Amino acid sequence: MEQTLTPEESLKVIESMIGQAKRSFSRLSFYFLLWGVLLTGAMLATYLLDDLEPSIRHGLPWGVAGIAGGLISSVYGARQSKHEPVNNPMDRIVGWVWGGFVITMLLLLFGTLRNGIDPGAPITLLTGLPTFLTGQILRFRPLILGGLLFWACGIAMHFTTEAGILTALYCGAMVLGYIIPGLMLKRQEDGLRTA
Amino acid sequence: MGFAPLDPILHNQLRLAVMSLLVAVDSADFNYLLERTGATRGNLSVQITKLKEAGYIEVTKSFKDNYPNTACRVSAQGLRAFEAYVAAIKGYLGK
Repeated sequence: MEQTLTPEESLKVIESMIGQAKRSFSRLSFYFLLWGVLLTGAMLATYLLDDLEPSIRHGLPWGVAGIAGGLISSVYGARQSKHEPVNNPMDRIVGWVWGGFVITMLLLLFGTLRNGIDPGAPITLLTGLPTFLTGQILRFRPLILGGLLFWACGIAMHFTTEAGILTALYCGAMVLGYIIPGLMLKRQEDGLRTA
Repeated sequence: MGFAPLDPILHNQLRLAVMSLLVAVDSADFNYLLERTGATRGNLSVQITKLKEAGYIEVTKSFKDNYPNTACRVSAQGLRAFEAYVAAIKGYLGK
């Protein structure tokens, strides 16, 4: 293919290929769907298991969701990186964003629980940041809106102690901020793979 | 002011496509480049060898799931050459 290129053709090749490479993200929808379902389930379980000891009512669902989500995410991530045909720097940045979020969340969890404060509202606020940034990095508007929603619900949760309202706000943020954008992202990823 | 000469290694559609893909990622497998460029396996292999011989890319051969795998990444020299090529193209286009 030793053909002569005009400068316009060269530029077109460069723009087209760089554009394609930038869209070669790993499949991230899985994580949003997994964590969205697990954390919504954990919140609903906490609300429904009202008659149990507070330590069991809070510890059991969140502990199970956290451990199950962590294990499944690790296995899925390891398998995915093994099969991924391309290493995109944006994937690394998204990974750092979520890694930083997990560390901050664990420290926040430790700090709030140590002082007897419900960590739900601050963690919901914090969840807005990586969701918003991931949406910006992927240029995927539903996740950007999801991040804004987490911030809105997180701040609203600071104004109530009513368990039903807290549950509705948290689950609403999870469904609209994680699960629905996750489903939309999955559709987009499936489309890109078959394109 | 004259136009800067275009690097003959990069002034080829497939080699330029491969370099453009590789500058945007950390590394990419042969099959990814094959899929994205739409080239034939033989032609891609030849052009990758030319880029490697010019020192523009680094090629690593390994095994992935028991199958041979070729991963390519742009070298520092390749990145400089690509940037110079883009600058020269912009000069031609008056950008």
